[in-house]
Amino acid sequence: MTRILAVDDSASMRQMVAFTLKGGGFDVVEASDGVEALELAKENDCDLVLTDVNMPNMDGIELTKELRGLANYKFVPILMLTTESGMDKKTEGRAAGATGWIVKPFNPDQLLSTIKKVLG
Amino acid sequence: MMKGLAVNSAIPPPPPVLAGFEQINRYWDKSQGVHAAKILPGELYVSVHGEMVVTVLGSCVAACIRDRVKGIGGMNHFMLPQDSQHSHGWGGDALVTRYGNWAMEALINEILKRGGKRGYLEVKLFGGGQVLENMTDIGGRNIEFVRTYLKDEGLEIVAEDLGGRAPRKVLYFPDTGACRVRRLNRVTSDTLYNRERAYAKKVNTTPAEGSIELF
Repeated sequence: MTRILAVDDSASMRQMVAFTLKGGGFDVVEASDGVEALELAKENDCDLVLTDVNMPNMDGIELTKELRGLANYKFVPILMLTTESGMDKKTEGRAAGATGWIVKPFNPDQLLSTIKKVLG
Repeated sequence: MMKGLAVNSAIPPPPPVLAGFEQINRYWDKSQGVHAAKILPGELYVSVHGEMVVTVLGSCVAACIRDRVKGIGGMNHFMLPQDSQHSHGWGGDALVTRYGNWAMEALINEILKRGGKRGYLEVKLFGGGQVLENMTDIGGRNIEFVRTYLKDEGLEIVAEDLGGRAPRKVLYFPDTGACRVRRLNRVTSDTLYNRERAYAKKVNTTPAEGSIELF
């Protein structure tokens, strides 16, 4: 089963994202910030990371940089799911190694089709 | 000398607007003697400069949130889609609450981005009246949503004025947390009804979704 690491500091958002991903037939691992996500990423082999940007302790941009430094996550798709729609943040995300940028609110069907697309 | 007392020269220049809020209507509020930002349905505004944030609510809900230590905060103004076209089939409630989720998260994120801390957030809620005729209790659903959301997020509500039949005008001061609520006369609220109906139509017919870009 394809495993997705879903990272968001908002419990309601994690609920909505996990509900959508499980409904799409994915196995979901949840984390509430970048630090927790990095630990879980090392413990579990995840096939894709879906992360919020603004989070306490470690944000999504920093998490992406850290993950890209790990041999296991060099080529794993990392999608940012965020309320940030500004160019600056997007450019930062791209430079950090993100695969794509999804602006909230998300459409569940579009989220799933985007995930399937980047999983190839 | 009377020179310094001229009314116009007493108005201080407006504080700089934070990035992302350039489209919000800002003005000098004579009655309160402060710079103010007025938000419409679907908008939100955050200030770090002690501006007043103002809105007029019917069945919509406004959350006033601030970091009580730093005095950084603001207000959103939203309603959930009521039409069952969004809740049909797979996805259920999650689809309907996307608007509310976005409005709440966007406001909280803007505060955290400016240096607010989640642990210091103070929440006040207003609106959710049953003011539109011939409609289901949209106000009640908005109230139910926002209460559930805050409970899930572990955020406490320190003050609220919700429900009822009268529209409200809310003045919020994020630097002190003070709120002033004025009940409006139902018959003089045509502008409000029209604006809220237009907004209801928009949230019911426009799918709530942001852009997707693959690098």
